[in-house]
Amino acid sequence: MTDISKPITGGRMLFSDEMIQVFYRLLAAFLICAALTILTNSFFSLGNILNVLRQASLLFFIASGLTLVVLTGGLDLSIGANVAISACIAGTVIHQTGSPTLGVLTGIGVGGAVGMLNGVMVTALRIPSFIATYGMLWVLHGITYWYMGGETMHGFPAGFRQIGSGYFLGLPIPVYLLLVFLAIGTIFAQRTTWGQEIYAIGANPVAARLSGIPVARRLLLVYTVSGAMAGLASIIFLARLNSAEADIGESLTLPAIAAVLIGGTSLFGGLGTVFGTFVGALILTLVLNGMNLLSVNASWQPLVTGVIVILAVWLDMKTRRRAA
Amino acid sequence: MKKAYGALAALLLTTSLSSHAFADGETIAVFTKNQTNPYFQTVRVGSDAAAKAMKAKTLHYIPTKPDSIPEQLSQIEDVVVKKPSAIVFIPVDYKAMVPGVEKINDAKIPVVNVTDRSAGGKCVAFVGADDYSLGLETGRYLLKTLGGKGNFVIIEGVKGSLTSIDRVRGFNDALKENPGAKLLASQPGNYQRLQALQVMENLMQSNTQIDGVLAANDAMAIGAIEALDGANRKAQVIGVNGTKEAIDAIKSGKLLASGDYNGFMQGCLGMMIAIRSLRNEPVITEIVLKPTVIGKENYQPYDVPLESRTCPSWDEAAKLGTK
Repeated sequence: MTDISKPITGGRMLFSDEMIQVFYRLLAAFLICAALTILTNSFFSLGNILNVLRQASLLFFIASGLTLVVLTGGLDLSIGANVAISACIAGTVIHQTGSPTLGVLTGIGVGGAVGMLNGVMVTALRIPSFIATYGMLWVLHGITYWYMGGETMHGFPAGFRQIGSGYFLGLPIPVYLLLVFLAIGTIFAQRTTWGQEIYAIGANPVAARLSGIPVARRLLLVYTVSGAMAGLASIIFLARLNSAEADIGESLTLPAIAAVLIGGTSLFGGLGTVFGTFVGALILTLVLNGMNLLSVNASWQPLVTGVIVILAVWLDMKTRRRAA
Repeated sequence: MKKAYGALAALLLTTSLSSHAFADGETIAVFTKNQTNPYFQTVRVGSDAAAKAMKAKTLHYIPTKPDSIPEQLSQIEDVVVKKPSAIVFIPVDYKAMVPGVEKINDAKIPVVNVTDRSAGGKCVAFVGADDYSLGLETGRYLLKTLGGKGNFVIIEGVKGSLTSIDRVRGFNDALKENPGAKLLASQPGNYQRLQALQVMENLMQSNTQIDGVLAANDAMAIGAIEALDGANRKAQVIGVNGTKEAIDAIKSGKLLASGDYNGFMQGCLGMMIAIRSLRNEPVITEIVLKPTVIGKENYQPYDVPLESRTCPSWDEAAKLGTK
């Protein structure tokens, strides 16, 4: 297991600490994998591992943008509703123009625009992020419900659907996207000045402002990125499910927040990593995959999910304390 | 003060309007569960069509948060003050909304109960479909197509919801009738497309041969089909609700069949009974629609825009009565 995170030398203290945390977080994921390998004979196969990664990708896209928001000490509750509206508008554009490229740009654009509005509410209007994005959630629901009028939009070009269901060199396309955005997110947060400023804002907003960080502009960026990632997720959703409806986002918001928190990012800001969020998304996906493979009775599934999530975090905190 | 006079005037106006309610122009409040499930849209369009044909007006009450119990309760409080001529009512929860029905009873507004049978309160009539026989008949259709044998999986709806419990019970009984049918797994998809897709992807990992999929609604059935397509595997899939999307999928041969929950008809009948009872015309106190399974051979009548469907005449409707 040690091959996961070679400690990077020459980094700041914060950096190596966080890598150690992520390592312990991974332990829980590995334990779940080990248990499932013993309990079922279908878990440990290339097919199923790719299957789990593909399923985790959608959750990761939504949760990775959210991670940046949570790092600043904020929250974005509108992500699920943002996925729904972005998917419905991007779907319309593809239907009207027949152009997948235009559809992809629309989805990410709408998502980003919604995120930017959130950012404006948080910075210029100084509305607490919880309230601003909660309000945005209802505004987006309202518009999407009205726009779709209880209908479902379905049937997209085969080329477009490759984004969600296609393969390249044996790997599903969403898995490539997952790896790309995992790398971009990690490098951005850990290795760029802007990324470090985001940590600084979350750790102590007053000190950040006094030390000359343009707090408002960074916050605006963070909310816009969160929205744009929801927009990207909406494209993956459209391409995988070949349809859009008004209520697709509702069941995505809480798992995304859970993935961020299970991944070790602090709700108070300043602590956490994008890679941790990936592990969080992986754990949540593994639990569902495992329950399906084991045919756990439907009545017990919510309970099992809850217990495993709590155990995973507890195990992580315990081992970390002992190591410290 | 001006505002208060205005409100008073409006109040007088509404009372004077409702006083000659026996002529045309009654206002019927229609309560549905949410704006997201296409099923309730069909109920609303059906009730609007019936009201238009009988020259009455409709007023729709839909919780902004889907299936919200407190929101529907507060909407009932509003409507009791506004006093519509009658109410066509789908409770968001058949038990939790009993106090709501009682509130409507206290206000002496006649109420027709549609889709989910309220566990209490007094209603002029009940119009619904039977989820159990819908599940059973749709399941039988699938088993007949596959010659009564094969490996099957069930994708359940929201655990604990009456519709899911009854449909899944129907599915299971259809499977039990055929000794050659083997149930591999019964897993929850919560009526959600994405979850059904993932459940199907996972089940395909542990089961190399799946011949039939029984999904408790159409969105999940289509989600399962996308998963099968993505893995280049084939299975016969059935859903429930008869949504437009399902009809399209039946037409293109992707979906085998969908049990029709007949929302449009339920909306029509509920509205017709509500208006007829106001006009002192005879009504039917209970209609439980027989399940129709929509397949390749009979999808055509469903393949028209919802708005252009028409309600049955009262004579036709009267034949559907079960009491």
